[in-house]
Amino acid sequence: METTLLLNTSLLLTLAIILTPTLLLPVSKTSSNSPTTITRTVKTAFLISLIPMTLFMLSGTESITSYWEWKFTTNFKIPLSFKMDQYSMMFFPIALFVTWSILQFATWYMASEPHITKFFFYLLTFLIAMLILTIANNMFLLFIGWEGVGMMSFLLIGWWQGRAEANTAALQAVLYNRIGDIGLILSMAWLASTMNTWEMQQAPLPTQTPTLPLLGLILAATGKSAQFGLHPWLPAAMEGPTPVSALLHSSTMVVAGIFLLIRTHPLLANNPTALTLCLCLGALSTLFAATCALTQNDIKKIIAFSTSSQLGLMMVTIGLNLPQLAFLHISTHAFFKAMLFLCSGTIIHSLNGEQDIRKMGGLQKMLPTTTSCLTIGNLALMGTPFLAGFYSKDLIIESLNTSYLNTWALLLTLLATSFTATYSLRMTLLVQTGFPRTPTNSPTNENNPMITNPITRLALGSILAGLLITSYITPTKTPPMTMPTTTKTAAVIATALGIALAMELSTMTHTLTYPKQNPHLNFSSSLGYFNPLMHRPNTTNLLNSGQKIASHLIDLSWYKKMGPEGLTDLQLMAIKTSTTLHTGLIKTYLGSFALSIILILSTQT
Amino acid sequence: ASEMSKDLMPGPYPRTPEERAAAAKKYNMRVEDYEPYPDDGFGFGDYPKLPDKSAHERDPWYQWDQPDVRHNWGQPMHWDFDMYIRNRVDTSPTPVPWHTMRKHFLLFLSTMLIMFGLGEIYPSYRPVGPKQYPFNDLYLERGGDPNKEPPVVTHYEI
Repeated sequence: METTLLLNTSLLLTLAIILTPTLLLPVSKTSSNSPTTITRTVKTAFLISLIPMTLFMLSGTESITSYWEWKFTTNFKIPLSFKMDQYSMMFFPIALFVTWSILQFATWYMASEPHITKFFFYLLTFLIAMLILTIANNMFLLFIGWEGVGMMSFLLIGWWQGRAEANTAALQAVLYNRIGDIGLILSMAWLASTMNTWEMQQAPLPTQTPTLPLLGLILAATGKSAQFGLHPWLPAAMEGPTPVSALLHSSTMVVAGIFLLIRTHPLLANNPTALTLCLCLGALSTLFAATCALTQNDIKKIIAFSTSSQLGLMMVTIGLNLPQLAFLHISTHAFFKAMLFLCSGTIIHSLNGEQDIRKMGGLQKMLPTTTSCLTIGNLALMGTPFLAGFYSKDLIIESLNTSYLNTWALLLTLLATSFTATYSLRMTLLVQTGFPRTPTNSPTNENNPMITNPITRLALGSILAGLLITSYITPTKTPPMTMPTTTKTAAVIATALGIALAMELSTMTHTLTYPKQNPHLNFSSSLGYFNPLMHRPNTTNLLNSGQKIASHLIDLSWYKKMGPEGLTDLQLMAIKTSTTLHTGLIKTYLGSFALSIILILSTQT
Repeated sequence: ASEMSKDLMPGPYPRTPEERAAAAKKYNMRVEDYEPYPDDGFGFGDYPKLPDKSAHERDPWYQWDQPDVRHNWGQPMHWDFDMYIRNRVDTSPTPVPWHTMRKHFLLFLSTMLIMFGLGEIYPSYRPVGPKQYPFNDLYLERGGDPNKEPPVVTHYEI
């Protein structure tokens, strides 16, 4: 059978299967939708989406299909077109696999939630929006998916809406994403005016692409993927339930910004300024997030900063003009990051809501499966040879070392790699080893298969995914083949140095002394002071000036200055100047009148 | 009538001490604490000028009448209370003083930008050298004199 037909049909079938629960909503009165059915739907969709991925891997078939066209104006049409290329066909099974595992986990985690079906619906709607974003062939459909994931992120972060901190975090996420959206709309406008289409297939310009639309795209990626400057929303988003953090803020939504840059990489490729900007921004983000992760005590915040750091690494890869490698890192990162979040969710529930790692310890014996998978996830994150993270991370660092680029960006990325090892080891040591610092009557258990199955499945993915993907996908650019041994093992050496640093620090702090405050500790644990410095003055000034202008100044100007008091002031001014002028000497005036009349009469006759 | 009576609504700026006392009583405040906004034409009237503290600074564990806004019934509300709710501006004291935070952050940012600039001027790249040809840099093929002694050429191995 013709491969493209099979490809298109199976991919559309996947999308249709995903959409079924939403279509059944208005139809069925006897709420036949439940968490189990939704999980089963996503599992079916995953299995079906393996078909197009296998087809692509074995035969290299790609396709672009277009279904309906919105005849916007006579010469600007927006088709509903799907692009099934390497990126979308690889992303579908990975996203569906991770979502399936997370949904299965969430049936246990959110079991005491009264609106659990609505929660699952929100997650499903998010997944639909993300898949639309991935498969979109034009910027319009991508924008629909982009806004969709932003909206669902807002609804899901603020899931426990009675909690003021969750509402603030959701608001923060929406505002920071909106700032990024300004950039996206700017570049969409430029694209529409220059290329007269929003399709991604236009031929790249032979000359250098103007920097401004690329800046817009980079701003969009900064907002959505939490690069330095628009990053505070990602750690704040940990206010949402752990399945939300696992799905949105580790594997899928936050990579949407990087995915946008991957999709538009022909435009970026011939503009060295934009590439250097991506490189430097990514390097700064990865180091800043790794520095902040070193001193955090909330387990979810550590993993959130780890995500932020890896996103910076993906941005660095884009800056090296290696979009395929960035996508590989997205794929491998999804597995182990989602698994890390699910393990942390198990730990949190087992300790009855405790999220502070200073109150955890010795969990290796109490939760063996979970903590073993946590170790596997951390090893994959650190880029241990031949686990999933190694294939992408090591290649990135090799390409960094063998390219012509900004030296400081290279140094920062290497430093961030060792910091990654440090904070991962710190988390492992404090959570899993040592004496238990938890209360003795915690409901610690992993008896439910709904916990262990998703985590072990993702652990298997973390181990094998890198090997499988790199074995079957041919690289589009030649990877660097020859380099000195030091360069080849640079990533491993940096990681080992980070581990050594962590071991050294932990032996230093084994005596029960409280760390004294010093500027570096303060800087790291207060997240670089970015949050209070930016949030407080800006919002205060904006709200104060808005209030002042809208109520005080407008009232003052219209009711007073333009009306009675304004007239009074003008009149007073005129009066004051003219009062000094006239002296009131009536007799002199009358005499001058008489004199002038006599003179006129005398000259007349 | 469902509106408040005239004597409960905010009024004009209090000029005499009796007016001040009456205004303080109206707003459920002590006369010592009551401080109206200055009469500069911006229309505040006798509304009290409360300290600019947000809801974050109020005790989270006290049993407020309205726990979400941390406010008791009858307590005078700040003129900008909708700015100081828990979703918006936070005026709570930071662990590190403001000028220290600003200084350290700007130091960090400026160091990064300067180092990135330096990194652009001195980029890192794999070692490169001019191409090295055999036979004394192809002396004869380039039209060198066969009778003369070719110049000494040293080659290096990277």
